[in-house]
Amino acid sequence: MRKKILPYLLLSPMILIMGVLVFYPIIATFSYSLKKWKLTAPNDIHMVGLRNYAAILKSDSFWYSFQNTLFILAVVVLLTTVLGFLTSIFLNIDVKWSGILLAVAMLPWALPPYVNGILWKFVFSSGYGFMNKAVIGLGLAGKPIEWLSSRWSLLLIVSLVVTWRSIPFTALVCLAGRQSIPGGLYEAARIDGGNRRTIFRTITLPLMLPFLAIGITSTSVTAINVFDEIIALSGYSDLGKNILVESYMTTFSFLDFGKGSAVTYLVMLFAGILGIFYLRSLNKEVEY
Amino acid sequence: MKKRLISTLLILSMTAAMAAGCSGKESSSDSNTGGTGGASSDTTASDDGADGEGGSITFMAPDWAIPTDDQLKAFTDETGIEVTVNEVGWDDIRDKMVTAAAGGQAVADVVEVDWSWVGEFYAADWLEPLDVSDEVKADMPTLETFTKDGNVLAIPYANDYRLSYYNTKQYEDAEIKEEPQTWDEVYANCKTLKEKGVCDYPFALPLNAEEKTSTYLMWLAYTMNGIVFNDDGTLNKDSVLAALKYEEQLIKDELVDPADKTSSGMDAYKRILSGSANFLTGPTSFVSKSTNEEDCSVIGQITPILVPGKDAKATVTMALPEALGVTKFSENKDAAKKFIEWYTSAEMQEALNETNTAIPTLNSVLKKLIDDGKIQNAGAMMEQAELIASPFPGGVPSYYAEMSNAMYNAINKMALGEMTADEAYAEMEAKVAELAAE
Repeated sequence: MRKKILPYLLLSPMILIMGVLVFYPIIATFSYSLKKWKLTAPNDIHMVGLRNYAAILKSDSFWYSFQNTLFILAVVVLLTTVLGFLTSIFLNIDVKWSGILLAVAMLPWALPPYVNGILWKFVFSSGYGFMNKAVIGLGLAGKPIEWLSSRWSLLLIVSLVVTWRSIPFTALVCLAGRQSIPGGLYEAARIDGGNRRTIFRTITLPLMLPFLAIGITSTSVTAINVFDEIIALSGYSDLGKNILVESYMTTFSFLDFGKGSAVTYLVMLFAGILGIFYLRSLNKEVEY
Repeated sequence: MKKRLISTLLILSMTAAMAAGCSGKESSSDSNTGGTGGASSDTTASDDGADGEGGSITFMAPDWAIPTDDQLKAFTDETGIEVTVNEVGWDDIRDKMVTAAAGGQAVADVVEVDWSWVGEFYAADWLEPLDVSDEVKADMPTLETFTKDGNVLAIPYANDYRLSYYNTKQYEDAEIKEEPQTWDEVYANCKTLKEKGVCDYPFALPLNAEEKTSTYLMWLAYTMNGIVFNDDGTLNKDSVLAALKYEEQLIKDELVDPADKTSSGMDAYKRILSGSANFLTGPTSFVSKSTNEEDCSVIGQITPILVPGKDAKATVTMALPEALGVTKFSENKDAAKKFIEWYTSAEMQEALNETNTAIPTLNSVLKKLIDDGKIQNAGAMMEQAELIASPFPGGVPSYYAEMSNAMYNAINKMALGEMTADEAYAEMEAKVAELAAE
C-alpha cells in the first residue's frame, strides 16, 4: 500500500504546480474563448459558444497574420536547421580555441529578443542604417533603400533576425547529438570501406535526427511565437504582424479577452500539431 | 528508511513553501501585479517604512512623473500618508492596469492615466470619480479630456498640447519673410525651402504605424477644419479626407523624409532639432528641447508659433495630456484622492516644472512660469494653451485603441504607396463606423 502511495506523494508537488500554472490556464483560456468578454463592456459578458472562433476564422486580418506566421516559420526553420547543423559540425572540430568559439557562437542566444530586434533595426534603418551605408558606399544603390517598408522584405528581415538568435540552440543540441555518437561506429564504417559521404548519410545524419527533431521543434515554437523582434522592427503595424501580435492586440490593446483567448488557443493548437508532427516523423529508432 | 525520511521532509518543505507563496495578506503597498514586463522599481517616501497615521498608498507612474524624495516627504509630513512609488515604463502601465483590473485587483491606488486610455477605463469602470472645484475647472482646459458624463475621472498633471515650430534661419536663407498662417502657406513654404536647397525634407511628419501617426491626422484635420468626428462618433469625411490628402501631397512632393515612414514618431519630430526638418506641429516639450544643448543643434533658430489653420491661424488645438486617477479597486481611496489633490495643486505644478520639467496644466501657473522667465523661448505657448479643446464630441471613445490602430495602419499604407488617400480614408472610415455602431 505504502509503495503505491509514495510515488504519487512524491509527484504531487509537481502535479500541483503543473495543474495550477499549466493546465488551469489552458482550461480557463478555453472557457474565456467561448465568451463574449470585452473589458470595456463589463455588463455584457456571456457565453457565445464557438462564435469567437468563427469570427476569427472569417476575418481577413487573421489569415493575413497567419500567412506572415507561415512565411516566418518556413524561412526560420529551414535556415536555422541547415545553419545550426553546419555550425555544430564546425564546433565539433577539436581545435585550440574550441571553448571560446563555442562561447562566441552562443552569444546571440543570450541576447534578449527585443534588444536583438533593436540592434537589427539600426542595421536596416532607411535613414541611418549600416546596410544602406554599405550598399551606397559600394555603389550598389544611389539612395537609401527602405528595407522595412514592404511586407515581404520586412518578413524576410524578421526571419533572418530570429534565425540569428535561434541558430546557437540548434547548434548546441546538434553538437551534443554529434558527440554522443560512439567513435566505434565510425571506425567500423571506415574499416568496411565507407567514405565520408556514406558515413555522414548512414551514421551521422540518422543518429542525429532525434536531436534535429528537438532543434526543429524548438525553432518552430520560437518562429510561431516571434513577438519582440516584430515590434522592434515594425511596431504594431499591420504589415509584419503574425498571429501572436494579432492575439496580443486583440487581448491587451482592444481589451477583447473573448476573441483574444480564441486566437491564443488557435496559436497553441497550431504549435502543438506541428510539434507532434515533427516528433513523430523525425524521432525514429536507428538499428545497425 | 533514511531516504524515505528525506523524501518526506522534502515534500513537506516544498508544500510549505508553495503554501507560503500562495497565501499572505494582500496589502496595498504590494500591488505590483506583474504584467508584460518592463523596468520597475519601488521606493517608499517614509524612511522607517512604518504605516503613518494617515494610512499609506501606492503610486504607479512613469519616471517623469515621480516627485523627488523631499517632495514626497513633505506630503507625508503634512498628511501622515505614506507613499510607495512604483516607477514603471509608460508603455507597461496600461498593460499592468488591464491585467490587474481584469482580476478585480488594484494595480496601485494612484495610477497614471493617459488621455487616450480614459474612454476605455471609464467604460470598464476602473476609475473612481474625483471632486474638482469650479476654480480649477476654469483654469485647467485639459480637464475636459478626462471628463465623461460629467464625471472627472483623472486630473491632468502634465500638459502636452499641439504647438507649431519652424526654423527661422532656414526661412531667412530661403528669403521667406513671414511665418506661416495657414496650412497652404506651410506647404508652399516647404516647397520653396526644398527647391532652394535649404532643406531637403522640410516637413516633420510621423508616418510609421503607431499612435503618433493617428493623432497627427486628428489634429491636422482639427486645426484645418475645426472638426474630426461627427456627433455619432464617425469620421467627418470632408475634414479628415482633406487632411489625408494634404499628407499625401507632402509625401508625393518628397517634402517628408522617407525615413519618417518607418522610424518612430518621436524620431520624425526630432528632425527639427537637428535642422533636417523646418516645420513641426508637435509636443510642447519641444519648447524646452529647442533650448537644450543636449537635444538641439540649432539653438536660437526654432520659434514656437500658433498652429496654422485653413484661412488664418487655427482657433483650436488638441491636447494630449497625462493625468492621475484613483483605481476603483483601491482600498485607500480617500488618501489617494488627497495625494492627487496635492500633486496637481498650483504649488506642486510649479515645483514639478522645476524638478521634472513638467508643463503645468493650470493656465495660471503656466502664465506665471512664462512671465517669470522660467520657461524660455515660450513663443506662442501661452496663447495656444488658451485654445485647447477636445476633438471628441462625446469624450474619448472606449474603442480608441482599436480606432487608432485602424487609422495609423491606413495612413502607413498610404505613405508606403499601397493605397491612395481615398482608399486609406475608406478603410479607416469603415472601421470607425463599425466601432461607433457597436
